[in-house]
Amino acid sequence: MAQIEVQNLHKSFKTGKVLNGVSLDAETGQIVVIFGPSGTGKTVLLRLIAGVEEPDAGTIMLQGRDMTEAAPEARGVGMAFQNFALFPHMSAYDNIASALTAGPMTAMQIKAKVDKVAALLKITHVMQHAPRELSNGQKQRTALARALVSDPRILLLDDPLRNVDAKLRYEMRLELPSLLKASGSTVLYVTQDYKEAMALGDKIAVLLDGAFVQIATPAEVYRKPASLGVAQLFGDPALNMVPAAPVLRNGAPVFELGGATLAMPVSYAGAAGRDCVIGIRPEALVVEEQPGPGSFPVEVVAVTPLNEKSVLLLRTMDGRELLASEPGDEVASRRHGPACARFDADSILVFDAASGLRIASQLN
Amino acid sequence: MSDIALSLEGLDKIYLRRSKRPVYAVNKLNMGIEKGEIVALLGSSGCGKTSTLRMIAGFEDVTNGTITLAGRRIDQLPPAKRNVAMAFEGYSLYPPLTVRDNIGFALKSSAMQPAQIDRAVKEIAGLVEIDSILDRYPSSISGGQQQRASLARALVRRADLYLLDEPMGQLEPQLRAVLRGRLKNLLAERAMTSIFVTHDQTEANALADRIAVMEGGVLQQFATQRDLKDRPANLYVATFIGEPPMNVFDAGLTNADRVRFDVANGPMLDYAASELPQAVRAAIGGRAKAVVGVRPHFVKLGAGPHAAQVVSNQWLGDQSHLALNVAGKLLVAVSHAPVPVKAGETICYAINASNLHVFDAETGEAVCHGAEPA
Amino acid sequence: MEHTSTLERLIRGVLIALVLLFFLFPIFWIFLMSFQTNEDILRIPPSVLFTPTISNYQALITGKLVTVAGTLDIAFMKNLWNSVLLSTVSVGLALILGVPAAYAFARFKFPLSEDIAFTLLSFRFAPPLLVLLPLSLYYEQIGLTDTYVGLIWVYQLIALPLILWIVRGYFEDISPDIESAYRIAGHSWWRTFTRIAVPLAGPGIAASGLLAFIFCWNNFVFALILASADKQPVTVGSLAFVTASGIQYGQIAAAIVLSITPTLAIALWAQRYLVEGLSLGAVKG
Repeated sequence: MAQIEVQNLHKSFKTGKVLNGVSLDAETGQIVVIFGPSGTGKTVLLRLIAGVEEPDAGTIMLQGRDMTEAAPEARGVGMAFQNFALFPHMSAYDNIASALTAGPMTAMQIKAKVDKVAALLKITHVMQHAPRELSNGQKQRTALARALVSDPRILLLDDPLRNVDAKLRYEMRLELPSLLKASGSTVLYVTQDYKEAMALGDKIAVLLDGAFVQIATPAEVYRKPASLGVAQLFGDPALNMVPAAPVLRNGAPVFELGGATLAMPVSYAGAAGRDCVIGIRPEALVVEEQPGPGSFPVEVVAVTPLNEKSVLLLRTMDGRELLASEPGDEVASRRHGPACARFDADSILVFDAASGLRIASQLN
Repeated sequence: MSDIALSLEGLDKIYLRRSKRPVYAVNKLNMGIEKGEIVALLGSSGCGKTSTLRMIAGFEDVTNGTITLAGRRIDQLPPAKRNVAMAFEGYSLYPPLTVRDNIGFALKSSAMQPAQIDRAVKEIAGLVEIDSILDRYPSSISGGQQQRASLARALVRRADLYLLDEPMGQLEPQLRAVLRGRLKNLLAERAMTSIFVTHDQTEANALADRIAVMEGGVLQQFATQRDLKDRPANLYVATFIGEPPMNVFDAGLTNADRVRFDVANGPMLDYAASELPQAVRAAIGGRAKAVVGVRPHFVKLGAGPHAAQVVSNQWLGDQSHLALNVAGKLLVAVSHAPVPVKAGETICYAINASNLHVFDAETGEAVCHGAEPA
Repeated sequence: MEHTSTLERLIRGVLIALVLLFFLFPIFWIFLMSFQTNEDILRIPPSVLFTPTISNYQALITGKLVTVAGTLDIAFMKNLWNSVLLSTVSVGLALILGVPAAYAFARFKFPLSEDIAFTLLSFRFAPPLLVLLPLSLYYEQIGLTDTYVGLIWVYQLIALPLILWIVRGYFEDISPDIESAYRIAGHSWWRTFTRIAVPLAGPGIAASGLLAFIFCWNNFVFALILASADKQPVTVGSLAFVTASGIQYGQIAAAIVLSITPTLAIALWAQRYLVEGLSLGAVKG
């Protein structure tokens, strides 16, 4: 029995339709990441599951019970908000304890639980402070503590690391998976950062234009994105998109790029004759001085370092811009000017130009 | 003698408050920027970078110190007389003018012909990809487009200095990557001396020739990206620069026939005396405690004299990030190839002495970087 | 941008002094008058130097006014009590009705909510005289003339719109996420309202309540028409000093001083309270 079962949810606001028939499952103890660009309805979905908003249509089952109409206080979920939503007139201790004061626990029992979760999140020393006296990192941990303290079976985390500085965000990204797994809760985690999604999620549900376009493991989403839209969201720098119309030559599909004719794996023969977009990930593009098999001429226009990688801005003979990335940031040694680029044909992704959907090769 | 275009000397910005200690937004800043150089002011919010930029532009009074541009002192001049072009973080386009007129506004008073102005505007607009909206009004375009228009407006001018305040903060990552390359190209081609403010180090690394790291109003280090990374002046710079951040550990230090860094559950690093040059060993001296730092990319996994338990192994598409449990803290390692090990298992690691950084435990100042003393 | 010349500061000081003089002079003069006998007051030229007397205050408090024509009974203390009663109860009622209503307007977007809210505010704009004549006739018919209940009901026209509009603004300023967080933590709607929304809107509720109190206290017309002698507040009660034997300026002055002291004190005290207000550091941004 799945802990969370969302079926066919619809939600509109005055500004338009935000969720257009979304469905999602989460098993016990799973961390499911809801990922997408800003404004696509991820927060709205979480609010519907928490009970703070009502869906126009669809059902929400939590722990096997229909909670579509239930009030928020009856759903037994824990939630952490993007902007923390701490109660300004209460101390950090009272903020966390508020998740327990509605229940039957005594003050002593509450104190034990609050102290335990505060120690876990390393905020014991600020328990008596008011929210305005806390740093962003401490506020975020207090909000998280409030969500965790009641040991909820279901945890909803709305981009909790968004408003925290880069250093702390990275630390939390490393600590969160073990923290969440230890709690045993089923987690729905919303984020816009693809690295966070890949780092934390057992499954990633990609929300685009009000619907889930792909729900799969991080590896599958990266290697076999369902559509061009999904492929563009994962990867930094984003993948190169080359419009092409492959034709069959001697039974093998080929396409034109930068004045050269390049081979595609034979398993893509089905793409011949269709208008396609070929996706080439920057890390798959290799830039060399000398031409090799499958090379095409380019000009290296600019080289910029990016976190222990170098990103090369290339221009092909027909004026197309491509980005290539390689490990190591020996920028100074990289020369501008003419060079040759090639890529491993097996690493490309092929998408239908009209629908944006990925064209699978006969192998996958 | 290099060609210094902009010189900041003893620059202070002090806010006096009644019955409380004065706030030093900028504290004794000294900086020299060469002609045609691209400099980034990098730091977290409140570090003083925006105050510095605004003082150079003339929108804030200078409390103490001087600013010299192209040989003349400008700190007492009103903004219009400084020959400085600025692109603002808030978009600040003139609402009743079209985007085209906004960009070309400053050029109207120059000696250029209308046809020339038009060409220059089109060229810049093409660079930042707003050529399709040149005839729209600011109220009808998106935040990202407004920001690019503001940028274009500054870049199209001929000025002694270009100031850009978080120029690409509102843009999506894909567009940002492409624009960075083009912007760098433009600035380099035309030898435009520029300073831009950012809290994003990827932006700073991508665009700048040199980066000035600021914190608490004080300049921490002003150097190339390479130097900031390989030879950080202090612990703040070391942990601020780099994603993932540098691993730092408090360690007990033994400097005898072997140089050993000890943490709670045993030696973290152990080198033969011969692996570290004499100059370095002298710099480390007789300290009993130190802070050691190593960048995640230089923790070599799979083989080596030390072992630790894997806490997490995250694969991010083009690289793997692993976290190892060392002395109760996390040692982060980055590998460009997938590492086939799961959480809970043990893995060996090695850190080459040339990738090691040592900092003073009290002051945070750098003591040595790899094989060289600081 | 930070330099103001000495000349600017001098001019600014002079202008502020003039404005203060304009507003405070009448109060100062009345204060002086309350300690003068009628002869001192009517003396020409008027003088700031005189022998102070507390006979005016005595007359008010004991309720007996000695004049050349004889001793009159003054009901001033009763009037004062009426003012206190009417103002406090009216404001109390308006808060009980208005605070939940303000919350409804702030949080629930029901059809015509803006129109209804504006209609309620418009009661403040309408001149009381517009409704007084019909109202006095209706009150006669239903027997509410010269009753506390009747007056308190009418005073809602003064207090309720004010409280609604100010408190609604304060509720709107509270991020809905904070209330959502409390509900998700397991608390009912009512507990969220009483433990989170109301405390956080506290400064607004207090400020609007105090403001409403001051306006109710100062009201003249409703009480004049709809109440008689023993239900009248101080505003109307002061008319009693215009007697057959002449206008008792001294007592009027003393009555005014006693009347404005409570509201003045409240306004000064509330100002500090409002400035202290809660700062919402709990929500980012």
